[in-house]
Amino acid sequence: MSDIAIKAENLVKSYKTYKRNSGFKETVKSFFKRETVTVNAVDNISFEIVQGTICGILGPNGAGKSTTIKMLCGALFPTSGTIDVMGYSPARDRKKYVRKIGAVFGQKSQLIWDIPPIDSFAMNKAIYGISNDDYKKRLEEMTDLFDVGEVIYKPTRVLSLGERMKCEFIMAMLHSPEIVFLDEPTIGLDVIAKNKIRDVVGEMNRKGTTFILTTHDLEDVEQLADNVIIINHGKKVFDDTLSSLKNTLGSKKIISLTLSKPYAGDSIGGAEIISRESELDISLEVDTERQEITDFLKSLTSHVDFRDISVKELPMDMIITRIYNEM
Amino acid sequence: MINYIKIYFSCLHTAFSRAATYRANFILGNFITLLSNIIFPLVTVLIYANGASFPDWNMWEVLLIQSVFSMSVGAASMFFNSILWVTMDHIREGSFETILLKPLPTLFYITAANFDPNSMGLFLGGLIMTVISAIKTGISGTENIISFLLLFISGLAVMSGMDLIMAAISFKWVGNSRIPEIFDSIKSFGKYPLGIFPKTIQTLTSLIIPVAVIGFFPASALLGRLDVMMFISVIPCFLFFAFGIWIYNRMIKMYEGVGG
Repeated sequence: MSDIAIKAENLVKSYKTYKRNSGFKETVKSFFKRETVTVNAVDNISFEIVQGTICGILGPNGAGKSTTIKMLCGALFPTSGTIDVMGYSPARDRKKYVRKIGAVFGQKSQLIWDIPPIDSFAMNKAIYGISNDDYKKRLEEMTDLFDVGEVIYKPTRVLSLGERMKCEFIMAMLHSPEIVFLDEPTIGLDVIAKNKIRDVVGEMNRKGTTFILTTHDLEDVEQLADNVIIINHGKKVFDDTLSSLKNTLGSKKIISLTLSKPYAGDSIGGAEIISRESELDISLEVDTERQEITDFLKSLTSHVDFRDISVKELPMDMIITRIYNEM
Repeated sequence: MINYIKIYFSCLHTAFSRAATYRANFILGNFITLLSNIIFPLVTVLIYANGASFPDWNMWEVLLIQSVFSMSVGAASMFFNSILWVTMDHIREGSFETILLKPLPTLFYITAANFDPNSMGLFLGGLIMTVISAIKTGISGTENIISFLLLFISGLAVMSGMDLIMAAISFKWVGNSRIPEIFDSIKSFGKYPLGIFPKTIQTLTSLIIPVAVIGFFPASALLGRLDVMMFISVIPCFLFFAFGIWIYNRMIKMYEGVGG
């Protein structure tokens, strides 16, 4: 039986927000009297994450992924429910607990803007009390892995987003945390930077680090995760292995076409038309397990004329709808 | 403890390398703060040069009050004024978590990581002027100097207390950048001999919001013009400080979602 690193039970996080309709009159009204609404950002979620694995938390924007990660990091207390990470209750034991973890927030920098990352690293060295030897060894290892030997001496503000994210990773992992939380780590990055980061995460994971990553990029999960949790509207809709997710979804691709002339049928070459953006713009869904994509393209060209074509993965909202329908 | 000192110095180092990145800005910033704070004592010099005066106070004595005031305000903005701005920014941008991720007491981390070398000029300028005015007025006596230090520290306590309270407010009332202006105005009462104000203001500035402790009281102590009232006012200073820490930490708890 493998060790459980994280155990969350019946997690709920609710917020009070103010409700206001649009329009000037409503604005004036809300200035005097505001209606409060309680929103459950995370609504009764339970899960376990095994030590040494990579767990992907997927979900559309506003699903509750970040709130969940913040609770796991100890930055937020759950409204109700319990979290146990390596024997700690994150928010309650925060100061002791955060020493053991690392976190990278894709949209919130932990580097100091005006100075080179190396200076920010030195500050973290003092904060975490890392010994000189460990620091040197770890820094060398990480800069080699990310290939940022030169970059860390340039002021953070002149770095490209990709370079900065790599440095954010180093910053979060200098103190050799056992568990690392990544909140949308690849957001806005180009393919090369994404791949580099994925490689390093894979490499660190092989050396024993547990990763929890939230993303709405299905590719992150496909390439890294052992397990996948999908959250929508604060509720858990899927929690199983990656292969089980693939079985549920099949190998489906979305093909978007811009036709030369309108087409009236419901399907083309065996693929169903799932949406019509306009008379000429349509999207088809192809199951590549049943039909090779090349075969499909051949039959497609024989059926219709088109001016443009693009092949995409299933978007997040469709995955969630599918999972709802399957379960 | 030793660890905390080490961390503090590492953070200081970072703060100075930040300041060194923008050398021109650093020098200019220091110069401007110093200048804008020196213009004020110049007004005092002008008043005396034109034959007017504050009753019972000669020019160097008034300058001493104002120099101590500058030194005190300089020390405050160097060491802990950042609490206010940093908290406000993080709350507005929703990035307070990055602070909570550090394995340190939140207030310690914020003050350490945001030491402001740009206020050094003001502090040093105040210090030099204090020394000059002190020499000119001919101060002496160990007990006077000890009382001065006690009152000076109390002045820092009331300012940090106010910073903490205003920062705590910003958790609830996001983006209120005007509130600090009110305290800045009240603070100005500490720049003058207290005797020139009506009784109500004297009581207000020594006991309720004890801003007299920022400049006037410590300077009077140096001059040997000690008064029981001065030592009583130390109490509200530390009450402010304690209340500030309490409310700030409570607001962090609320941010984290306990109660609230």
